Order: sequence, then C-alpha cells, then structure tokens
Amino acid sequence: MPVDSEYAIETQDLTKIYRTRWSRREVRAIDGVSLRVRRGTIFGLLGPNGAGKTTFVKTLLSAVRQTNGRALIFGRNSSDPEARRPIGYLPENHRFPTYFTGAGMLDFYASLSGVSATRRKKLIPEHLEMVGLSQWGTMRIGKYSKGMLQRLGLAQALIHSPSILILDEPTDGVDPVGRREIRELLERYESQGVTVFVNSHLLAEVETLCREVAILHKGKVALTGKMHDLTAGKGYRLTATKPSDALAEELRSKATSMATRDGLVDFQFPSRELVNTAMDLLRAQQCEIESLAPTTSTLEEVFVRTVEK
Amino acid sequence: MVTLALVRDTFREALARKIFWVLFGLSTLMILFFLFLLKIDIVAGASATVSLFGRATNANPNVDRVVRGVYGSIATFLYTFGMFLAVFASSGLVPSVLEPGRIELLLSKPISRAHLLLGRYLGNVLVVSLNSIYLVLGVWIILGVKTGIWSPVFLIAIATTTFIFAVLLSVVVLIGVVLESAAAATMITVALMIISPILAQTTQMMKLLSSEWSRNLWRALYYTFPKVYELGKITLDAIQSGTFAGFTAIWTSALFGIAMLGMALWIFQRRDF
Repeated sequence: MPVDSEYAIETQDLTKIYRTRWSRREVRAIDGVSLRVRRGTIFGLLGPNGAGKTTFVKTLLSAVRQTNGRALIFGRNSSDPEARRPIGYLPENHRFPTYFTGAGMLDFYASLSGVSATRRKKLIPEHLEMVGLSQWGTMRIGKYSKGMLQRLGLAQALIHSPSILILDEPTDGVDPVGRREIRELLERYESQGVTVFVNSHLLAEVETLCREVAILHKGKVALTGKMHDLTAGKGYRLTATKPSDALAEELRSKATSMATRDGLVDFQFPSRELVNTAMDLLRAQQCEIESLAPTTSTLEEVFVRTVEK
Repeated sequence: MVTLALVRDTFREALARKIFWVLFGLSTLMILFFLFLLKIDIVAGASATVSLFGRATNANPNVDRVVRGVYGSIATFLYTFGMFLAVFASSGLVPSVLEPGRIELLLSKPISRAHLLLGRYLGNVLVVSLNSIYLVLGVWIILGVKTGIWSPVFLIAIATTTFIFAVLLSVVVLIGVVLESAAAATMITVALMIISPILAQTTQMMKLLSSEWSRNLWRALYYTFPKVYELGKITLDAIQSGTFAGFTAIWTSALFGIAMLGMALWIFQRRDF
C-alpha cells in the first residue's frame, strides 16, 4: 500500500553507469536524475533515442540497479518488493508467453500482484471487457495482433488496481480509435487519483495526455515542467503574400521561423510589437495579409529546442 | 499464492514444449508395455512363466528376480535416458524467463528475485518428479497386480531420481542465469553426467595416478561434482538387494546443488535486465 508521500515517484541524483565487458569503458545511461512526480497526475517522460528513458524506468522497477542515488515509489525504496505493489507496468516490446490465453495471462500476473483467486475471477472478465477483448479471453495469445497484445498488456497493468501506472509506449501498434480509447481510459484513471507515468515517442499524444513532462537528454533532465507552461511559448503566426526578397530577408531576421508555400509566406513572431511592425512593412509593399493568429509552442517545438541546445 | 502461481506457470510452459510430452509419452509407452505385453504367470508360488509379445520364455525364472529385474531396468531408464531428456527439456525454462520484455514485467511485481527464480526451479523439479512418480508408481502397481509382489523399495527410485535431477537442475539454472543459453546449459549439465561414472573410478585411479597432486585433484573433483552414477548404482543396489548405502554421495551432491543454486541466486540478484 502506498505510504504517506506527496510524490508517487521521486528520484534523487539517480545515476546508472554501464561498463563495457572487456575495456571497462563507462557509459552513463542516466546521470544524476532528480525528478518528482506528484500523485494523481499524468506525467510524460520524453527524450531522443539513447537519452536514458528506458534505463530510468527500469531503475524505478528495480530491473536495473542504480550506481548512485535513489528511487522512491510513494516514499519507499524501489528495491523493496513491497514498493512495487502499487505499480502497474506495461513494458515496451513486451514478450508475453504465447502459451497463455488472454484470461490465463491476466490470472498469472494478477496472482503475482497478490490478487486473491476470488477477486481474479471477477476482475478478469471485467478487464478483458474494458480493453475490448472479452471475446478473446479463451484464445491463446499467440493468435493476437500487436494492437490486441497491447490492450491485453494494459489490462494486465490495471488488473490489481494500481496507484501508479508506468507505461512504456502504451499505444504502440494500436489503431487511432484504440488510441483514443486508451487515452480516455488513462484520463479516467487519473480522475480516480491514479498516477500515470508515460514514456512515449509520440509527442502529439504526450501533449494531449500529459499534465507534466520531463525531457531527458544524454542521461540528464534537460527540461521539466507543466505542459501548459512549456507549450505557452507565446507568439503570432502571420501569413501573407510573398514580399520582395529584401523585405522577406529583413522579416526573417526578426521572426523565429519563416516558411513559404503556394505563393504565401508564414512568419512566426515572438511578440505583438514585432508582428505589428511586420504587418506595417508588408502593407507598405501592398502585400496582402492572409491570416494572423496567436500561437503557442507545440511540444515538438519545445522538444526539438531542448535537445538541440 | 505467488509460489503456486510461479509453479503453475512453469508447468504451463513445460507442457507447451513438445519435449516434455516426449518424456511423458515414453513413460506411458513403458507403462503400456508392462500392462499389455509382458505377461507373468505365477507357477507354484515363487517361479513364473514370462511371456513377451505373447511368446513364453523357456526358463521359469524366480518371480521375485523378474520383478526386481524390471524395477532395475526402469530405474536405469530414468537415470540415463530419462534424466538426459529431463535436462534437455528443462534447459530452456530459465533463459525463456530472462528474455527482454518478459523479465522486466516479472521484476515489476512485488516479489523478490530469489522467490521468482526459486519458484521456477521448484516448478521444474515438480514437473520432472511427476513424470518419475507416474512411471515408477505405474509400473509398480502393474507388476504388483500381476505378480502379487509389492516391493516398496522400488519407490525409492522416485526420491533418488528427483533428488539427482534437482541437483543437475541447479547447474542448468546457474548456466541459464549467467549465459541465458539453453544449449550451453544442456551441454555443461550432460558433461557432468558423463564424467560422473569416470570420476566414480576413484579407487582404481588412486592406484594409477603417479603424483600426489594429481591424486588430490582427482579426489577434489570426485567430492565436488554430483555423483549421478553412484546414486544410480545405489538405487539399483537398493532395488535388487534391499540395502541402501551411500550417504556420502547424497550429501556431497546435495552440497554441490546448494552451492550452484546459491551462486545462481547471487548472480540473479545483481544482474541488470
């Protein structure tokens, strides 16, 4: 059971150093990561390939032993098996044994999580129904498609009523409708006070789903914050007919980005003053204003800015 | 509950492998053989006519000797071919659990790593012991009904085969944890089985070896490695003469098994997945 802690996940100076077998060369997979995930939120962990996301998640689950620092789950050291009782986990590239049926697999993992036989009997059909696999419960999972396995994996992560869900690419292989269903499901769990920790490459999905994010880069936390604050990089998008090259160059130097398409040009300006000046200059050259709209940064822009620093 | 779940999972996985069915199939064939094809008619109490495939043997052997001979052949089968098949079939059961995508999920559950590995070990021992129980008990009952001889000493084969398999399985588990290779686990364990009768020739070798250090090395190897051959011989002697002697072979083999399993647990506790 979760102990009294403000944070569902808390890491302090978490470091994992791998050493190559022969040369003993050091590779710092994660390097002094200190992160706090509040209870009851949906938190996204992002990062380019090799940033240390998977190692971080595995350290939380004690599948990887940290070299330094500590990882706490609801205030308990993650190496303590009891700390893992409130965790529901869906690994990336999971390999569920194909000799299981869907119901058999849920039964096995639920019993490892300490769910009694009576409760399992009730929960298994409910969870199969919840992920849309009620017709498939008695079928061997070797026959399941990738999306179906992902749904079953999610049911497995949820069946013991966890207080924290750690999901590695939860919608991998799932069709768009299924993705939306999973998103709604996770939001429902969030509203019930469950903490959801998502590790995903799908930035648009993370942006839609998560309330807070952290970006890992080269094993360190490069950025962390609330989604609303991070994507509130205010600006204005101005679209106009193409000006002269000289003016386009002048405006490009003031804009954060410029792109041309079909005789039109899009400018992104960081402030109202700059966009007004640009409009005056464009109108002076008889350019027509196609549109003007305030914008916020997308998570993708934030991500790219962060990892390219 | 967790231990039971781990044992059941090992059973499920074992039964999903054809090689375990081959093992059970061979046991069934032997049982059917004794049930239908071997006919023993008791003549004048102690002697018998034995017919195989419907053809009677010329001699009228002592029925007790016939039964003990059958017991001996079953025990020999279990100790040689049966043990090899059991090791071969079990060699993949630990590496399969350590596969990426499967082990992380198991480790995310509120169970210790030692519990996880020992649960699998226990499940594997139970699968193979069930086969021994099935074969030995089956033949014992059939021969008992056919001859009226109910010699409980034959049942010792269940305990000794299970014991020596448990010892050999500790090597399979250790190799599985270190190398994650079913082939390597089979090869090394079978090698131990093969060198066992060679190492058992200690008395002769002490006379043949010229230097003291080579004799000491031989003794060290003899006492260190599991005594598969000797335990088989002890079982045969017990079945045929009713005397059981060889506790050194038991405790040294047990010590070896505990050491291997302890090492496997120690490494498994420290590994990153």
